[in-house]
Order: sequence, then C-alpha cells, then structure tokens
Amino acid sequence: MTEASSSSRASGLAASTAEIDVSCRLPLLVLFISAAIWLVMASVFGLIASLKFHSPQFLAECPGLTYGRVRPAFTNSLLYGFCVQAGLGVALWLIARLGQTTLAHRWLVSVGAKVWNLGVTVGVIGILFGDSTGFENLELPPYASVLCFLGYLLIGLWGVVTFHQRRERILFASQWFLFAAVFWFPWIFSTANLLLVTFPVRGMTQAVIAWWYSNNLLFVWLSLVGLAAVFYFVPKLTNRELHSHYLALFTFWSLILFASWGGIPNTAAVPAWMPALSTVAIVLTLVPLLAVALNVFQTLKSPGSNAPRDPSLSFVLFGVGAFVLAGLMNIGGALDSTRQLHFTWFVAARTQLHLYGFFVMVMFGAIYYIFPKFSGVEFPYPKLVRVHFWLAALGILAYALPLAIGGILQSVQLQDAKISPVQMVQSSLPFLRASTTGDLLLFAGHLAFLGNVAGLVTRFYRARVTAVYSVATADLFKSAEAKS
Amino acid sequence: MNYGPLLFLAAFFALASSWFGFVLSPQLQIGRLQQTNSVPAGEAYPVARPGLARQGLDVYRANGCAYCHSEQVGQTGIVSDVLLTDAGTNRQALTAALLKVKPQAQPTELLATLPATIEEGLTNKAEADAAAKNLSVGGAKAQVWIRPVGPDIDRGWGKRRSVAEDFLYDYPVMPGSQRIGPDLANVGVRLPDANWHLLHLYAPTNKVPGSAMPPYRYLFEKRRIERARSPNALDLPPELAPESGYEIIPKAEARALVAYLLSLRADTPLFNAPLSAAAPAPPSTNAPPK
Amino acid sequence: MNGQAQSSASSVVSATAEPKAGRKAVPIWLIVLLCLLGYWGMVFFDQRGGWFSSDVYSPFTAVAQVQIYQPVAGEEWRTRGKAVYENVCALCHNTDGTGKPGQAPPFVGSEWVLGSPERMIRIPLSGLTGPVTIKGQAWNLSMPAMGAALSDDDLAATLSYIRNSWGNKASVITPEQVKTVRAAVGNRTQPWSVELLNAIQ
Repeated sequence: MTEASSSSRASGLAASTAEIDVSCRLPLLVLFISAAIWLVMASVFGLIASLKFHSPQFLAECPGLTYGRVRPAFTNSLLYGFCVQAGLGVALWLIARLGQTTLAHRWLVSVGAKVWNLGVTVGVIGILFGDSTGFENLELPPYASVLCFLGYLLIGLWGVVTFHQRRERILFASQWFLFAAVFWFPWIFSTANLLLVTFPVRGMTQAVIAWWYSNNLLFVWLSLVGLAAVFYFVPKLTNRELHSHYLALFTFWSLILFASWGGIPNTAAVPAWMPALSTVAIVLTLVPLLAVALNVFQTLKSPGSNAPRDPSLSFVLFGVGAFVLAGLMNIGGALDSTRQLHFTWFVAARTQLHLYGFFVMVMFGAIYYIFPKFSGVEFPYPKLVRVHFWLAALGILAYALPLAIGGILQSVQLQDAKISPVQMVQSSLPFLRASTTGDLLLFAGHLAFLGNVAGLVTRFYRARVTAVYSVATADLFKSAEAKS
Repeated sequence: MNYGPLLFLAAFFALASSWFGFVLSPQLQIGRLQQTNSVPAGEAYPVARPGLARQGLDVYRANGCAYCHSEQVGQTGIVSDVLLTDAGTNRQALTAALLKVKPQAQPTELLATLPATIEEGLTNKAEADAAAKNLSVGGAKAQVWIRPVGPDIDRGWGKRRSVAEDFLYDYPVMPGSQRIGPDLANVGVRLPDANWHLLHLYAPTNKVPGSAMPPYRYLFEKRRIERARSPNALDLPPELAPESGYEIIPKAEARALVAYLLSLRADTPLFNAPLSAAAPAPPSTNAPPK
Repeated sequence: MNGQAQSSASSVVSATAEPKAGRKAVPIWLIVLLCLLGYWGMVFFDQRGGWFSSDVYSPFTAVAQVQIYQPVAGEEWRTRGKAVYENVCALCHNTDGTGKPGQAPPFVGSEWVLGSPERMIRIPLSGLTGPVTIKGQAWNLSMPAMGAALSDDDLAATLSYIRNSWGNKASVITPEQVKTVRAAVGNRTQPWSVELLNAIQ
C-alpha cells in the first residue's frame, strides 16, 4: 500500500481539515448534545440512588424511584446515554480526521444517533416502570435494545465505510483501537441480548454471559475508545509525537487478548475453571496497563515545545491516571483471597473509577477540543472548563476512594460471622456520605458542562442565523446604498 | 499494520477467543444441565419453583432486589468430623481405642450421650476415615460427618456453596453483586415465616432495627374494612397500624415475592457440593402465605 | 506492519498536522513481565482451574477430591435421620432428645420410642393429643402431624435415628414399614390418642 496507490483511491473526497470537521458537524451535534443531556439525567438518578442510603424513606412511596429501579436507570443512562454516544462521536471524528476523509453519509449517521437516543429514552423509562431485564449493565428492555442496535448499526456501518475510504493509508495507533471497537460493540450487544433476552440460555449460563458482556462493554469497549482518544490527544495537545508505535501495537494486542476474558467473579456459582481463567486474564492486563502508562509518560517527557496547556489535556491525563488506578484495583480484586471483595463497594468504586474517572474524563477532554473545531465557534465560558475539570476530578476522587476503602472494610467484616449486615451498613455510612459529596460535585460539573455546550450551540446557531440573514438581506442593503 | 481486512481478522479472532471461552463453552458445559440427583438420597434436584414463586421472581427482578442482595453462598473449605453413633458391646476396647485416637479425651463423659463428636474440623478426610475405622471396635459404630466451612456458612446463610444447579430453572438468574443486605440463597430455610417477610417488606426497620432497606409500601394497599377484617390483613404494631376502620392488605406482587423468598433454599447435598445432610422435601404449595 | 518513517532528530510536529508515532521498541522488561505473568497464570490455572471439569467447584481442585467427600453406602439412615431430626423435631424435642417441659416429652428411654414400631410410626403421621404417660410422667399436650410431609425414607430414617441415639437401642425402622402404615392409616386427619394407639400392636 504505497502512498501513490492510496491517493489514487481518493475518489475525489475532500482532504482539508476544515472540510472534514464540517462533514462531521451534523451527527456530532446530535451525539454530543444528547450525551450532555443524558449525563445530567444520569447524575440526577445517581444522586437519588445515593441519597437513599442516608434516608431509606426518601421517595419510598414512588415505585418508579425505588433504589432497585433508580440504580439501573443511573448506570444505563450513563453507559448507553452518555458513554456510547460520546464515544461514537469522538470515534467518528477521529476516524475521519486520521483517515483524512470526510465522514460518509452523515445524514444516516445522525438518523442513527436519533434512533439510539430514542432507544435509550424508551429503555430508561421502561426500567423505571419495572421492565428491567435483570442483568447488570444490560437492563434495557428488549424493545429498547432493538432500537439501540439499529441506531448503532447506522452509525457504526458508516464509520467502517469512512475508515475504508481513508486517504491516509498508514494507520495511526488510534485507528486500530477504533476499528476493533466499532465491530466489537454490536457483537457483544447482540450476543447478550439474543442469549439472555430473546432465546434465554438455561440457568447459570445466563449469569456467565451477563458477566462476559458487562466486562467487555466496560473494560474492553470503553478502554478501546478511550485509549484511542488518549493516543491521539496526548501527542496532539502537547505538540510531540507518540513515544512508540510498537508499544501502542503491543498495548492493542495485549488488551484485546487479555481484557476480554475477565469478568467472572471468584464467588460465582460456576465450575472453578471460569473464575480461574478470568483471574489469570485480569492479572495479565497489568501488561497493557503498564504499556499505556509508559507510552504516555515518555511522550510527555520527550523534548518539545511547552505551549500553554490546553484544558483538554488535563482531562485526558487525569483519565490516564484513573485508567491505571482502576486497572490496579481490578487486579487487586481478582487476586482477593477473601473472595468477598466482589460483593462490596470496592468493585462499585473500581467500575466507577474506570467508567467515569477514565472514560468520561477523556471524553470531556475530547469533546472540549472537538466541539469548537466542527462548529467553528469557541466555548462561551472558557473559565468554566477549568472549573468543570476541578469539580470532576475532585468529584470522582471523592466518590471512588471512600467507596474503595469502605469496600475493603466491608470485605473484612464479611469474613467475621459475628458482624450482622445491619452493623456493616452502619459502618459503611460515613464512606457513603463522602461518596455522595462526590456525586454532588460531579453533578455540579455536569451542569457546567451542559451550560457550556448549550452556550456554544446557541452561539453556533445564532452565528448561522446571522450569516443567513446577512446573506439574504445583503441585496437589500446594496440596493439601499445604491439608491442613497 | 495498515491493511484493514488483516487488522479486522486478527482483532476478530483475538476478541472472539473470549466468546469461545465464556459464551460457547459455558453453554456447552452448563447450558445443557439437566436436573441432577442429590447424594446419597437420589432425589431429583432442583425442583421447579411453583407458579406463585415464579411470579415472585419476576417481582424480584422488576424491583431490582438484586442490587442490594446476593443469592450466592460461598465456601472456603470442607472439613470432616468424626461422630460416634453406637457404643457397641465392648466398652473397654472402645475406651482404649478412643484414648488412642484422642489422648486427652474424657471417655466416660464422651460416651454418656451419643452421638458424640470425637474429632472436629479435620481437613484431611483420610485422617478422619482412619479415626472412624479405629473406633469401630466391638460393634461400635463411628461415622465421618462432612461439613463445608466458610464465613457465609458460619453466618448461617447456607449449609454449602451455591452451584449452577441451584439456578437451573430460574429466569433471569440474578446472583447479585452487592451484599448491602444479607444473602438470600437460603432465606426460605432461615426465615420460613411468610408474615415476617410481609411485615419486613412493609416496614423493614420494624423487623430489623437500623436497616437501610426502604419500605415497599406500594406493594400493599390500604383498604376500608367491610364487614369483617380480611384474613390477609397485616398484623401491624400500633405505631404502624392504619387508622381504625382500615386495614393493610398485601397486593398480589407482595404475596408472590414472599412465596419466591420462601422457595429459596439451596442446601441439598449434590455430587459437586457434598455435605452430610439431607434437607427435608421443600413444601411446594400454591397456597397463599398467611 | 509499517510504522511511520521518522527521523529521530525532532519530535516536534506542527499543531495542525495529525499526530505521528515514534519507533521506539517495546522495552524488554515489559516482555519479560508478560512471560513471567504467563507462567504464573499457567501455574495458577493448574492449581485452581479444576482442568475444565464441570463438577469441580472451588475450594475443590480436582474431581478426585470431590469423589473423596462423597458419602459411602451403608448406614445412610443415621446421617439422614440426624439431619431431618435436627431440622424438624429438635425444635421442640431438643437436639439431645431430652424434650422441653411443657412443650414436648423426651425421647430418651421413652417406652413409646422403644416399643412397637407400629405405634411409633403413627404418632408423627397423624399427631397425638390427650393425656399420655411417658416414663412415669404425665403429659397432656398436642403434637401436630410433623411427619405427614416427610417422605417414607425420611420418616423411617428419622425414627430409626431417634430409636438409636442418646442411649436408646431398638430396631431400625424401614421405609417399607412406614409405607405400610401410611397405607393403613389412609388420609386420617384426626390426631391419635393413647386409647386408640394402645389398640394397635
């Protein structure tokens, strides 16, 4: 694949950066605005769920807001409402930019995004009405999953077409990650829905497939998209080159080989080989973890210009740190010999640190960079971006670290038969209080994010309206000038 | 690595390996499980849950009980006890054998009440078997009692660990991932009283002070007392009782949920989870809980 | 797998160009770590994996180990009877068969236990009310039909256990005996009384 033959495959597609950005505008507007709104919705659900621990009577009369329904509403709106949408938006932009080709069929992609949103909305409402499937991280009822799958196909398919139509044939690291992510999601989503909801398998096999899906969504798919963004933005925002192509290749292979085998907890009621294989696989993910840390660290250390730091870079670097920490927590949890950590707040903290601390933060950084690029308008409140960063960083640390400590304490207490569950709940209340404070900080950050996004979108449309108006009335003014 | 199709194939197989490992293989191995037999009794296990209990499983799913309760008992080991069940006819030989097996024992005290536990918590079964054999002198009968151990079992949450057969007929299987509340795998054995469960759902802190469980009042309805009090009405303490002339009746969902909870038991010994006990046959009935 | 052709001189790229990657090799210690972890993984799986057997659940590590803990054929009624007794009867009659005054009479040395199996089987099948003398003591309580829900095997094992524990020594009751009595009793719901029982051999 030489450069000459690759450019002959261009088939007349535009290559300039501005044109690429403009081609992504419509679908990315839909995806990013919806994602921002879902993020705030998820925060609200998360806050309600969190508050119920401090006051079980809170909103107890309303069946739709009981903890057992609000919690899956929270996780599903965060996962499917924000994470997948933001991830797909960033993925499409990266595929277009790195391939130096415009996004293919952007109308269909934006229709896909709207169908996905419809699916998630219907799904979350269904969960609140009691139609949850019962499988963790896949609680969307079947009627919603179908819509989501169709929406994804519309988005993902044209992402693959854009990748195929690339003018720049030499692949950068991010593109491998994104390409794998684009086809992995529909595979795991359709497998899980077919084997758990449509034609359910028998007995404990359901739980194994549910754990496999949950692990692959959280620790493989989110990692793939998040790392693609990390490997793009760290060199880009620091004006350096990525330290090592081979290390990134090594990360890619070791991640998809090992991380997708994780997820079966030690306590599972399944034959011993399944948790054993999962544990081995999770411990082996130490290798891609270190490879990512090394690559990013060496990139930052390499000589280059030290321009004023883009706020997006803070988000991305925080994300890398959280990725490493969450990965280490994952390994610690897998090697836990008490076998009780799986049932404690520790795994909830690890999941949130990975999902939020890594993926959502990297997405924030990416969105703050990409949005002005394709809309041509800057964010109206640049200082608010810094405020958002500190709210989010402190918020996720305040959320995850107390829960992790509380979880370790809980696992020790679960070992002692004399301590009753009520005593365990009482002793974990201070940690839950700290984590609710984290929730509040995150919620404030999300409002800042939504405010900035709404402000930018308003500015963008106002600019367009003004432009259209001035074009339409230019003749009038010209003729008026000519007359006077 | 610049060739799209090659990248696709390679990534496909790498990711597909986990599909083979954790979707296809479990389906082949435990996805085609049939009812098994308990050991040594040979009764079929598990028995499908009666209709009301199955509806209760649906209520359990719809209200997300699995976010605070797990349904899996764990075990960290298995030990053997040596029990003397029959003293036989030759007291002297038995006493001698007893002192050889356990030098610091008090034979007269031990042999006063049978069955007597001679050795407890042996991790090596061969040792227990040898001790039991040595004690079988002069018609005496000793047996080895197998007992799973672990923090869950010490807590009374079960007699043995949960295995795949325990969930054979359930849809959806919700083993749970948090233990904010107690494990429910054997709650039908531990708390067999339907009224306790109904009152606990209505006002958890009344039954378990300090509980973080929210009250599920929407599973009950407040009705005016017509001619006579309904037999299903809850017997509430004065601070929770409705005003005079009204009674609290559990809705169908509450009764189904309680039937499901009462059907939760997983202590039958199986080949892959041995223990020396045979649970009595579970009362499978569709009669509404009183 | 071509990487980017890059001179090692400057790694500064202009802000508008897309990022490129350098050609540094993967550090050797990372490869060594991968191999070490792979080795550890194989050992771990060998020890804990049960070699893909569907019958091996932790804490067991091999099918042979599970096999060791299986119950041996022989006096199953003792194990079974003890378990059922402790679940069903011991709540009132105590785990050591001494009974609870005012609640349930003792089994230790009781003539109703050591006597005719026909009478003993009928008591749990349909219950017993009215005045009864046990070891010289008068009791006047009402026992529910606790054995009605038990299977023949379970009831036989439990009664045999009661008849052969805590110093009691009597014949073992077989499931066939329980079956015959069940058939003879039919679907009697009235509890027995001492007079009716004494009429039976």
